[in-house]
Amino acid sequence: MEEKKVKNKYALITGGSRGIGRAVCIQLAKDLDYNLLINYNGNKEAAKQTLKEVEALGRKGEIIQFDVTDADSVNKAFDVWHETNKDAIIEVIVNNAGITKDGMFMWMKPEDWHSVINTSLNGFYNVTNALIQKMLVNKYGRIINMVSVSGLKGTPGQVNYSAAKAAVIGATKALAQEVAKRNITVNAVAPGFIKSDMTAELNENELKKMIPANRFGEAEEVAHVVSFLASSKASYITGEVININGGIYS
Amino acid sequence: MNKEVIVEKINYFLVDEFEVETEDIEPRANLKETLELDSLDFVDLVVAIEANFGVKLTGEDFVNVITLQDFYDLIEKKVA
Repeated sequence: MEEKKVKNKYALITGGSRGIGRAVCIQLAKDLDYNLLINYNGNKEAAKQTLKEVEALGRKGEIIQFDVTDADSVNKAFDVWHETNKDAIIEVIVNNAGITKDGMFMWMKPEDWHSVINTSLNGFYNVTNALIQKMLVNKYGRIINMVSVSGLKGTPGQVNYSAAKAAVIGATKALAQEVAKRNITVNAVAPGFIKSDMTAELNENELKKMIPANRFGEAEEVAHVVSFLASSKASYITGEVININGGIYS
Repeated sequence: MNKEVIVEKINYFLVDEFEVETEDIEPRANLKETLELDSLDFVDLVVAIEANFGVKLTGEDFVNVITLQDFYDLIEKKVA
């Protein structure tokens, strides 16, 4: 029998230490046969906690520190990682790292505009660009971008965030067409109001009146969709944006 | 590494990995057409060059590469 060299396969989740990112790590650990590469920027303890939960499911994982906005930091981290993991391939990228700096556009400071764009949009570029060549050679991959209902409908008070997420949606659709021939799919998921640190300060009781489902979503409800898109079952879905918002926008 | 070795190595992997017919390999041949490369396939070429010569090519390196001869010249310059 011909012996094939089996590569160690990884799924990378940026911003995997908390919130939706953590839920995605755990769901992928439950559903798919990948080692988890859990990226964090500042909160190492939270990343370790995610790793612990992944390992409790009998899955291997690692934490990896880099700031998605800093191309040098990203490239350096992957150079080191690939150097020590020569037989490894990152087959799944979940571009999840994101921040909000909300406020009326009229009062928006340049740093609040740029930091939000830097994290979502340039973060997508820095991470995906660093890994896409290996994925193309691998002739298989899954790229899932965490966007938002804000990127589709626009949310007042979030002009920066809406712009960043809308830009990532455009990138998702374009890149999907570039790489489809190599069995790489690129999709986006667009959560609405999901219980996480990002929405912790919002008044759910007030806001849920606007949501047909009459509640905020759970991070796990987003993670299930990501897990499906990351699986081989989703092989003919690409360039798509999937809403997860309890019916608030479609 | 002298030019003959470079040409020989490149021709070898073109036949071996890119399934180019030996009789189609000649210096004036159009690289893209001979190899039936689409733009994504250049990634395989970059990997093959790195594996064989230890040099990394970028998209810019290919700007002036039309024929196989251009390609040989590029690699010769890179490994020098």
